[in-house]
Amino acid sequence: MSAAAPTAPASRVVRPRKPRPSRLLIGGLVVAAAFTWWAGHSLGFSLRPLIENWSNGWVVIEQFLHPQWSFVWRVREAWVETIAIAIVASGVGVILGLVFAFMASRVTDRSTGLFRATRWFLSVLRSLPDIAYVLIFVALVGIGSLAGILALILFNIGIAAKLTSETIDAVDSGPLEAADASGAGTWARARWAVMPQITPNYLSYCLYIFELNIRSSVVIGIAGGGGIGQVINVQFSRFEYENVAAITVALFVVVLLIDQLSQYLRRRFV
Amino acid sequence: MSAPPVTASSTRTARPAEPSKAKATLVWIALLVIFGGAAFLSNARWSQITGVFTDGWRYLELMLEGLVQNPFAEPWSGYWTLAIEKMLESVYMAWVGTLIGALISIPFGFLAARNVAGPVTVQLTRAVLNLIRAVPELVFAIIIMLPIFGFGPVAGTVALGVGAVGTLGKLTAEALEGIDPGPVEAARASGARRLSVLRWAYWSQVLPEVVAFWLYRFEINIRASAVLGIIGAGGVGQLLGQLFGQREWEQIGITLAVIIAVTLMVDAISGGIRHRIIAGSGSGAKATEEETASL
Amino acid sequence: MIELKDVTVRYPNGVVGLDGVNLTIPDGEFVVVVGLSGAGKSTLIRTINGLVPVTSGALLVDGEDVAGASKRELRAIRSRVGMIFQSFNLVKRTSVMNNVIMGQLHDIPSWRALVGLWSKAEKEKGYQALERVGIVEKTWTRASELSGGQQQRVAIARALAQDPSVMLADEPVASLDPPTAQMVMKDLQRINRELGITTLVNLHFLDLARQYGDRVIGMRGGKVVFDGTGAEADDAVFERIYGRSLTADDTLAETA
Repeated sequence: MSAAAPTAPASRVVRPRKPRPSRLLIGGLVVAAAFTWWAGHSLGFSLRPLIENWSNGWVVIEQFLHPQWSFVWRVREAWVETIAIAIVASGVGVILGLVFAFMASRVTDRSTGLFRATRWFLSVLRSLPDIAYVLIFVALVGIGSLAGILALILFNIGIAAKLTSETIDAVDSGPLEAADASGAGTWARARWAVMPQITPNYLSYCLYIFELNIRSSVVIGIAGGGGIGQVINVQFSRFEYENVAAITVALFVVVLLIDQLSQYLRRRFV
Repeated sequence: MSAPPVTASSTRTARPAEPSKAKATLVWIALLVIFGGAAFLSNARWSQITGVFTDGWRYLELMLEGLVQNPFAEPWSGYWTLAIEKMLESVYMAWVGTLIGALISIPFGFLAARNVAGPVTVQLTRAVLNLIRAVPELVFAIIIMLPIFGFGPVAGTVALGVGAVGTLGKLTAEALEGIDPGPVEAARASGARRLSVLRWAYWSQVLPEVVAFWLYRFEINIRASAVLGIIGAGGVGQLLGQLFGQREWEQIGITLAVIIAVTLMVDAISGGIRHRIIAGSGSGAKATEEETASL
Repeated sequence: MIELKDVTVRYPNGVVGLDGVNLTIPDGEFVVVVGLSGAGKSTLIRTINGLVPVTSGALLVDGEDVAGASKRELRAIRSRVGMIFQSFNLVKRTSVMNNVIMGQLHDIPSWRALVGLWSKAEKEKGYQALERVGIVEKTWTRASELSGGQQQRVAIARALAQDPSVMLADEPVASLDPPTAQMVMKDLQRINRELGITTLVNLHFLDLARQYGDRVIGMRGGKVVFDGTGAEADDAVFERIYGRSLTADDTLAETA
């Protein structure tokens, strides 16, 4: 019934030795492990407080479980402000971002110098966290939503330019050739040979950036950039956790709603 | 001398009417109204924007002044050391936090993949992942981590870890859903246990992508860790907050320079490794790039 | 021995895959199953391995009931039934050896499988299976670097590493060019002869079916409509199985 084991091969070819795993991989893993140990050590990392101080945390969490819902409506102006900030900042950010995107793609930017300079500028722009921009603008124009708007604009330019320029890099070169063959200038070529190809992606990036801006409203406000985050900051420093909880849950709902809205718009227009 | 233009045809046929531009115009007007309304409702004091141009140059000059001083002489050497120390702390926080998030996200990813778990489990897990994704790390840090771990980098690290679970879990689930189902069927057909199938037919197929996601999340977490410093959860953000409070522009210049340099360096290294991993695995690097855009 | 007694398979969407099939396949036989796509060939093979559940009837593999088997029993039955697929179904991102060892996962404890700690015996079995299909020099290559024919041979080795008593092959050569297809069929035949493994192969090329099948089973609409030797299966028989006249697409040689 059961067959003999597949032993006794017909002809014996030399079996290859198992190759050693590449030195690069081993070296990389060792470095990663060492770095992890060193990082944990420097941070004084320990999960023990999780068990020991659980009761401390629980006191706060318990307050969070009893949100003061009425507070959400009491600060309705801050909600409007948050959404308005996001609209203005993403509106300006994506338009400037588009200009930078055209300057940061080899397809549309045939001047090597400008191309390099733009790329360099954009990576520096992206390397600073949003909070740094808020702090800078709070220092320049004072606490309030203007600082938040300006900070988000810079932040949005970085993302919009990166995503869009990558899309431009990947466009079909056929229409480009046709435009070149008819003697179109750089601007005409960008507008009529490139722009139609990237519009769907670009619009979806715009929506994505708007979502991001709503999400980062907490960060913006905590550093003094206006909106609902500023309310959270004030309530948090007064230990009014019930209010913070209500706002957090409401923010979660707002984010979900905006996600749904933008998914709907994406299906509809993109 | 000139010939008649080639486009002029001898006979006129009925031409289709030009499509109306009314709809596009309406959309543009609506967008402008929304934008204008938002600009008004945002309560921004637009007149203060002049501050950017007046103070902006002065502060920029001060910041650059800090940069050109001899970095080995007091007090500048102290500024540089402090900035580097705090930035490294941010990098450590990001690294350990990402690692924690990565480990926790593995089971979540499997439970959220439609071709692994049942529909009820998938929906529940996805709901949890979406919840985590919608709540900023900052809120995790405020609500849960600070009361338990106290002020300092450990609270920030754990908050970054929890925050990373949302996106990493989602991306892992999507990668798992995109695998070739053939090997799964082959492994099941040979009578392999469920755990073995998950390890060898599923995990082997997605490992390179998933590791690339981890690295990408690490790059993001470096920026996110700065935010956590503002509420006292460690890292370079804490230093930045203090310096801006005291308007120490020269030291701010130095600190920002350190942040930019270290971030660019880590991005370059991590990005290089990511491209190697994806290229080495011999499957669409492009697809992964596009997916990470949504992190 | 494989026994099907009045086996019917109805898919959840109502499609009938097998319709009252009665078959007995003795040990060591090389059986080719032919039929149009959708005739139930694939369902037959998948049902024997328990990948498709039986709706009614009895199905015995080596005397064990597949239809009523528990999950654990089913895994044990599957571990003795090797399976080969049209699209090879290798994990392309890992080595040939790991792929071959995947055939033995049934017998490897979970914790060792999890970390990929293979024993010497398991690797030895892998080597031997690869030697059997003549591709041992590729043991440590990534599966993605192999050609189609090489991948299918690795897949055969994976099935061999299970120490199977039955080998099932679902259109094993449909994705391969004619010379490679011949080679893979020869491998399967040789393994059947040398090791006495009962072999069931789905094919749609009738010349290959005649050439290699000790026994040819024709299926149409989920029913067995022909059961005889390769010699008996002439063009008239195939026309009856296919329900139409033959074309060049039905043979491997002429499509080459």
